Amino acid sequence: MEEKTAISFANVAATYDNANEVLSDVSFNISGGAFYFLSGASGAGKTTLLRLIYQLHKPSRGQIKLFGQNTAEMTRDDIAKLRHKMAIVFQEYSLLSHMTVFDNVALPLRVRGIAEKKVKQLVTKVLDWVGLGKYADVKPMELSGGQQQRVSVARAIIVQPSILLADEPTGNLDDENASRLMELFIQMNKLFGTTIILATHNKKLMETYKFPVIHVENHRVTFVGKSSSTTEPKKVWKGPTPKNYFSELSKQFDDIGNA
Amino acid sequence: MKKTTVFSLVRDQSVFMTAIMSLLTFLSVMTLGIAISISTGVIDWNTQWKTSATVQVTNQKSEPTVRKILNDNKTKIETLHEISESEMSDLMRPWVSGGNALQNYLPKVWEVRFKSESDLNDMSKTISPHARFLTHASALHASMSAGWKMMMIAGLILVLTLGTIAICVSYIARNTAMLHKRELEILNQIGATDSFVARQMQIIVSKISACAGLIGFVAAVPVLLLVLSSAHSARVGLMAMLNITSFGWACLVILPILITIFAIWMTRHTTLKILQKD
Repeated sequence: MEEKTAISFANVAATYDNANEVLSDVSFNISGGAFYFLSGASGAGKTTLLRLIYQLHKPSRGQIKLFGQNTAEMTRDDIAKLRHKMAIVFQEYSLLSHMTVFDNVALPLRVRGIAEKKVKQLVTKVLDWVGLGKYADVKPMELSGGQQQRVSVARAIIVQPSILLADEPTGNLDDENASRLMELFIQMNKLFGTTIILATHNKKLMETYKFPVIHVENHRVTFVGKSSSTTEPKKVWKGPTPKNYFSELSKQFDDIGNA
Repeated sequence: MKKTTVFSLVRDQSVFMTAIMSLLTFLSVMTLGIAISISTGVIDWNTQWKTSATVQVTNQKSEPTVRKILNDNKTKIETLHEISESEMSDLMRPWVSGGNALQNYLPKVWEVRFKSESDLNDMSKTISPHARFLTHASALHASMSAGWKMMMIAGLILVLTLGTIAICVSYIARNTAMLHKRELEILNQIGATDSFVARQMQIIVSKISACAGLIGFVAAVPVLLLVLSSAHSARVGLMAMLNITSFGWACLVILPILITIFAIWMTRHTTLKILQKD
């Protein structure tokens, strides 16, 4: 196995409540810094695949390795620490309704014990990136679906993940906002070497950005297109340093306003 | 680092927990206070009487001998009070009234307080062949025994109350985890360790327990003072001896603190158990 392999599946199967297998004999290696779309019909097992990678679901058989580590041998705390290098954006946002947008985005940093001064600095910056700087003090329920989606994305990218998994992150966004978000992901991938797997139904998106596709069908996984792992993983992200691109992106989000 | 609590109890649950913990702390402080006051009373009572005895001479021929023994052993005696005939008549008034015939048959009685228990025991051996030697401690044994029993019952109630607190805290921690399952899942997703989640719960429970402990203690103190005041109004007997020393008050102050620490520990234990089971 290559040293820079980020995700490795070997004959992995997944079931829910000991019923039929949702995924069978899934085997693949994904290099660090790759960008993949994940496609398939509803209920095909896209979310299950993401949950398996993120260790939210245990495989019924087979072996999963993340950053070369066999996850079957890991304790709960080991998995928690492994998740410090990963982030996931769920379709249903998974935001805490009683907390403000700022606190939701700050949560992963606080869990990691980052100093509050640094938390404030990073959250403010990332909220600006996703165009939600002025909504820092509001509760997620007061935001539109698209804005909540962006809060969820902000919470994921703020931890400088090595692997970013996104389940239909553009599902609630219009074309304009969807492409802005895609640009954000692409920049993360290019600038920071983040391995990204993005589940989507949006064929237009897949046609526009010609990344290779992991296709889930009949409980099996097939790969379509050439791996984009040509993107060299960059040095570890030392914090969301302001880039011209992100400043520009932020302005564009501001111009668009509510998604 | 700012200690941000990721989730908080819903208002009803928070109010319920504060109310129930206040009540249980109140009961704990009350039962411990009563246990301490009874034990202090019994110990003081015991100390007061353990060197006292009554010497009773019914055979008049023995009186000079007993008197001589008492006079010869004055170094062992703290106080010696000879009950006079008039005092005896007063004591026996319902039975000895008018006339002098019966007075001739009244026993000669001394109330003696010895300097130490060993002095009392020595004198008991010396006097017993000539007179009745009645220690006050043995005469009051039943009262003291009742006092110890009451103290044990109060102790048992205290243990039951602490057990109830354990069950309540465990239930609340479990219930909170169930109510906030979504928050726990999200915490889990963003890489929070079990210890972090347990610490979040501990912060919430420590605030509630500290508040409830203060309320329970503040409510219990005046009630305890009222109980002691009522007991002292008896003036004599074991009831009048009920008391809480400064050490006892210190124990009462420490109790809510211990309950809070226990609640925090119990919360951690229960939360970790739930998370690992999940």
